Amino acid sequence: MSQTNTREIINDIRGTKAVPGVCIVCPWHCPTEVFVRDDKVVWVRGNENAPNATTRCVKGVSSIHLSRDPDRLLHPMKKDKNGNFKAISWDDAFSYIAEKLQEIKEKHGPEAVAYLWHLDSNEMFSQQLFSQLYGTPNWSGHGAACDQSRRLAGIITYGHPLPTKDYENSRFIMLWGEDPLGPNQSLHENRELVEALKRNAKLVVVDPYRSRTAEKAHVWLPINPGTDGALALAMAYRIVESGKYDADFCENYIYGFEVFAEHLRSNGYTPQWAEGITGIKAETIIELADEFAETKPAIMDGLKGIVNYSNGFQSLRAIFTLNAITANIDGPGCLILKEAGPLAPPLLIPEEDVAIPERPIISAEMGYPLAPDIPSQLFPKAVLEGDPYPLKALFFHIVNPAMSDPNTALFKKMMAALDLSVTIDVYMSETAQLSDIVLPEASMFERAEVRESLWSGPQVIMAQPAIACLGDSKPLYEIMKGLAEKMGYGKYFEWNTWQDWAKVATANLPVSFEELKEKGVWHGELRYHKYLEEGFMTSTGRIEIYSEVLPEYGYDPMPTFDESGRAKPDQEYPFQLINGKLQYHCGTHTQNNPYLMAIEGENWAQLSTQDARRLGIEDGDRIELTSPVGRVEISVRIVEGLKDGIVRVVHGHGFGRTMGSIARGKGTHVNPIFDSQVNHICGGIGYNECKVSVRKVG
Amino acid sequence: MSQYGFYFDKEKCVGCRACEVACQIWNESVQTVKWRNVAMAVEGTYPQIVSVNVSLACMHCGDAPCKKACPRSAITKDEETGRVTVNQELCVGCMLCLWACPFGAPQMGIHGRMEKCTFCEDRPMGLKRACEEICPTQAIVSGEIEMLANFSKHNVGNRLMHDENPGVILGHEGD
Repeated sequence: MSQTNTREIINDIRGTKAVPGVCIVCPWHCPTEVFVRDDKVVWVRGNENAPNATTRCVKGVSSIHLSRDPDRLLHPMKKDKNGNFKAISWDDAFSYIAEKLQEIKEKHGPEAVAYLWHLDSNEMFSQQLFSQLYGTPNWSGHGAACDQSRRLAGIITYGHPLPTKDYENSRFIMLWGEDPLGPNQSLHENRELVEALKRNAKLVVVDPYRSRTAEKAHVWLPINPGTDGALALAMAYRIVESGKYDADFCENYIYGFEVFAEHLRSNGYTPQWAEGITGIKAETIIELADEFAETKPAIMDGLKGIVNYSNGFQSLRAIFTLNAITANIDGPGCLILKEAGPLAPPLLIPEEDVAIPERPIISAEMGYPLAPDIPSQLFPKAVLEGDPYPLKALFFHIVNPAMSDPNTALFKKMMAALDLSVTIDVYMSETAQLSDIVLPEASMFERAEVRESLWSGPQVIMAQPAIACLGDSKPLYEIMKGLAEKMGYGKYFEWNTWQDWAKVATANLPVSFEELKEKGVWHGELRYHKYLEEGFMTSTGRIEIYSEVLPEYGYDPMPTFDESGRAKPDQEYPFQLINGKLQYHCGTHTQNNPYLMAIEGENWAQLSTQDARRLGIEDGDRIELTSPVGRVEISVRIVEGLKDGIVRVVHGHGFGRTMGSIARGKGTHVNPIFDSQVNHICGGIGYNECKVSVRKVG
Repeated sequence: MSQYGFYFDKEKCVGCRACEVACQIWNESVQTVKWRNVAMAVEGTYPQIVSVNVSLACMHCGDAPCKKACPRSAITKDEETGRVTVNQELCVGCMLCLWACPFGAPQMGIHGRMEKCTFCEDRPMGLKRACEEICPTQAIVSGEIEMLANFSKHNVGNRLMHDENPGVILGHEGD
């Protein structure tokens, strides 16, 4: 059943030309192949030269609609005095933006402009324009709504922001608040996970909800929400007390093991202590800790279910510490400290021309100096109150905080107060509707992208335009070039086609440009145990259980359990609200896809069978969720696999918007019930720090 | 004559429905019709719950009940591959095939005529079917029935090899 190079067979059947691409529906960026006939995409699949081979997830295969969606943005638009959008030329749009930016720079300084983006490596062009040339320090990803805690925990503990997983060789896998088989992650990782289970690797899933991954698990631990850190510390306690840690590794590669052991003892982080907090029996904790420590290689990792809590950063530090004390790091079957390929910047701005910002990045002055991305939920404070300093212009590229950030009412107020707001998107998103200028971007089928993949070894993807841009839409690199010319930085963007800059970016790869173009991917050697020669990229060169960096900023140097930021249910709001993602949608930009909407056309709130019965609620009923900051009405799904006392919601639907004819009016926008909570230390959004009451409507 | 078919691994299927959409797109079928369907069953009460996902399409049965049931002889079985296909020109939409099929594979499509999985008619044998090409966990495998039976045995054997406490010991000859 092995198949090699089947591209040509498909081209023959369908009279197509295959063009290598990359999927940007979700942040895992699987390499793809796009089959085109007469400038139309007729088939999409994974790139058979890449580890995901020909596979796609449901969102990926459905994304073909994006190449032909009549609801897409086709022209640059500007709001007139009455608040109605009018189509304008690119030239007018660029001139207007450049003029406003000049004004703002003169009056308030370049730091009054912030540019928020999401997951696209073409962002290097906006980085050059906004950060290096215009000079704002506030060019930031939208990680506050995403994996911020994990990234910072990785950097502080391992000196690596994005450890990947080698499921293939693993024998014990424990995932905390992470559902790779549900909303999906790297396709090759998912395939390797189910294959590892076939070879009797053990899977443990910690999640109050029986997720898709929990369905496949040998052990499902429905934990009390937000208490994962306590469970991880208790497991560490058991491993240290029973002497099952790897003494050699701890001595040679860990910084602060002895103080950590003492820290566990003096704080009394025992399995008995954790039982009372997590709702998981002490004997289960001991059993799992022993099995984990004795089964090698193993993986411990966590994601969305952890990062959405105020204490998520420290919980992940504790989880990462478990890998460390058992020497389960960067080896076969462990978390891998991924290496990147030797990509170069597409254009180099001479050092003497690079602007040096006068003020630090705004997150530092907001009180989150270690936040990898700016806590965007605090933008309204900066815009409306000038705290910590005023922001006058905001750029949004393929991010939609009007839908994804908490407190929608406050966000709207902020947008109205800006001097300039620009959204670059494929759709007329909720955020675009609130902006002054909307710029239509080409979809992933119409533009090039050169990027590192999320495979464990070095791997570079070269995605190429498969069809012509729809309407007047442009790839981001052309938008940035056009804007740069009006801003007086044209001389730094002196390339004509994407190939010109892609050649520069890939010049250091040990593969010819033509071969890379043909295959669409290049991968190097997956090296294990890189720390043996190179150490870890932390300040001490070791894995830092005791961080040298954290105390400098007044934070606890070691993983702790802290519930002070938790919004715990009480009499008035008796339910804990938790967040999830749908298997069939991603964020707020797949809701106009007919294939996906046919599978799941709305979002809903989930209640346990017991709770629903107690409240007299039946499947499909409408309920009202009320939190201290807002209320929403939503449909109910009753599920067996959910702990009592919890309401689980999935976000992304509920557009009252002009974004698309299919999305409009379906489901409920749930974010008005979230408060603008900021997670400790990392600055992420604390979506799950939310308590609600539940009332049946009608 | 050979018989081609599908192997499906419920342990690998995560219920993502990528196969359904892949089938719709490759075969350009209308969206209200699904030639491949993912069914999900859940049993038990919290926290002891079991569930299973099953992706089903036409089984291209050796002795196809739909073919026997069709009063118009619209359904044929391909001699060479064992594919079961329908001639829509002959179909009058009487739905007897649907009653006869134990898997619910026949779908009533445009103009009320039956349509269903064609085993990706235009894909040469040896190339993966569209659903199989896309399936993220490779839970679907297509091929000749004999090959699939061997593949299945191989999978079971593999499982025992990795089982630390096997309930069965396999004997073997020679060294």
